[in-house]
Amino acid sequence: MKIDHKKLITRVPGTGDFIKIDNEKCTSCDRCLIICVMNLWKKRDGTIYIVDDYASQCLECGACYQVCESNAIEFRFPAGGTGIVYEQG
Amino acid sequence: MNEYDIVIVGAGPGGSTAAKEAAEKGLKTIFFERGRKPGEKNSSGCGLGPRMWRDFDVMKEIGPEVCPSIREGRAARNYFVNEEGEVTGYIMTTPTASVTYEPAKSWITLNCYRSDFDPWLSQYAVDAGAELKTSTLVTGLIREDGKVVGVIDEKGEKYRGFVIGADGAVSMVAQQAGLRKRWKQEEVTIVPQYDFECSPSKIDDIMGDEALAVWWSAVFPAAYQVFFNGGFHIGLGNWMTWWDKNPMYYLNRVISLKYFKRLVRILDAKPREFQAHLLPWQGKPYNTHTDNVILVGDAGGFPCPLEAEGIYPAMITARAAIETAADALSEGDTSKEFLMLYDKKWKATSVGEEFTAGPELASIWRALPFSPHKTMSWFIPMFMEIIGGIIDWSEPHAVRIRQIARRLKTYLPQAVPFIMKEVIPLLTTVLGEDKMELLTDPEKLLTEMPEIQEALTKAFMDAPEEE
Repeated sequence: MKIDHKKLITRVPGTGDFIKIDNEKCTSCDRCLIICVMNLWKKRDGTIYIVDDYASQCLECGACYQVCESNAIEFRFPAGGTGIVYEQG
Repeated sequence: MNEYDIVIVGAGPGGSTAAKEAAEKGLKTIFFERGRKPGEKNSSGCGLGPRMWRDFDVMKEIGPEVCPSIREGRAARNYFVNEEGEVTGYIMTTPTASVTYEPAKSWITLNCYRSDFDPWLSQYAVDAGAELKTSTLVTGLIREDGKVVGVIDEKGEKYRGFVIGADGAVSMVAQQAGLRKRWKQEEVTIVPQYDFECSPSKIDDIMGDEALAVWWSAVFPAAYQVFFNGGFHIGLGNWMTWWDKNPMYYLNRVISLKYFKRLVRILDAKPREFQAHLLPWQGKPYNTHTDNVILVGDAGGFPCPLEAEGIYPAMITARAAIETAADALSEGDTSKEFLMLYDKKWKATSVGEEFTAGPELASIWRALPFSPHKTMSWFIPMFMEIIGGIIDWSEPHAVRIRQIARRLKTYLPQAVPFIMKEVIPLLTTVLGEDKMELLTDPEKLLTEMPEIQEALTKAFMDAPEEE
């Protein structure tokens, strides 16, 4: 069974930016790449970045923030009433 | 500045219970929800346990008319998946003879979606007089003379009062109060899950009175399946330290099992929603409070140390927090020292009792169901050899028993260290050292193990090879 899990999410727009990476602090340990279930973290030429449209996909689980031991990832929840909605959570 | 006695960040089961009990004590209370309504941001829908009915009167009022997704179940199914990804057996269980009270004798869990449960529970807090502010993100704590005196929301509105952090695994309150920047990686899990839609009558016809299933496996960390009225969750998790590949790789291995696919086919189930969240899972809650601040539920690290159910602990710790806060406010002392009363209170509850063996329970879960490659790869064939080996007509039964015994012997090099490292310490904590001494102490057992092995070998296993 193949499921495109990215199609099974509902988000209310208007979150604004809520995740940032400080590449000065990033050690390229790749833990954020492994842990993100939506595959929003990428690496190009040794530099880690988050995809441009992450705000329309992110589940706000905070896993990237949690695994980043070098404090390079800044995460806060999006504005009240916006972002992920779980109808059968 | 808006003045309150109690300011609660979060309107999940912990926040709502805190708000209800605070308002009932006549304390001026506000609680905040960042979603448009409580439950909108939460997943891992609840398997509500019977202890909630014993400890919270509101539970007697829950039912399908207020929570349409509700489904109670008497049975749990345990699937055993081997290294080849085959279901090599399953066991269904129901409440056993040692269970002492109702409703625990009748069902193991009552399941409903958080999108039903959380709004339902929050209404009791509102009815008791607490003020609920939805669609509002609390972004910070406010301090005076270095001490937390309240919170500030995203619009810059300030609320003064005693702060309860009921804001989940990624707790802003814990971070800004200096209690925890993030969890240690071995204290928190990531849990992705699918929700499948299917007709309630199909679930009843096919699953009977099963409330949930655990898929114990040698190819993915133990997965759970929870049945609701009109759908089910299938999900899994593990500590942050464990993942060698993306968690979706392992979740997709579950839904790709031939057996699972068959189940989906006969249930005529369709994937409906995908969810993921962090779940604190650890043996010993610590840093639970500071001056004028208490953490409850997931924010304080209170999910059950064995299988991480978090609703009941959130509600229990919320109650302990409000009792403590009420005492602190009437004494005029909300200092960290005074609030040590909170630890004393939750430790005296059923949740506290759970954590007396917390490190051992978390450790055995880590070592067994959450170590699919290392442990379950031998545990599952060993277990199936024991329960599945007899119903077999390939040889006379006497021969089969000898064959099974010889096979079991090959698992001893892995099973014995596991018992010594995980099972004995757990039993020692649960039973007490004196009683375990009677059984034997681990050192002694270890030194005598070669003799025991030899005796077993002589008795059973050195029988002549049978073809």
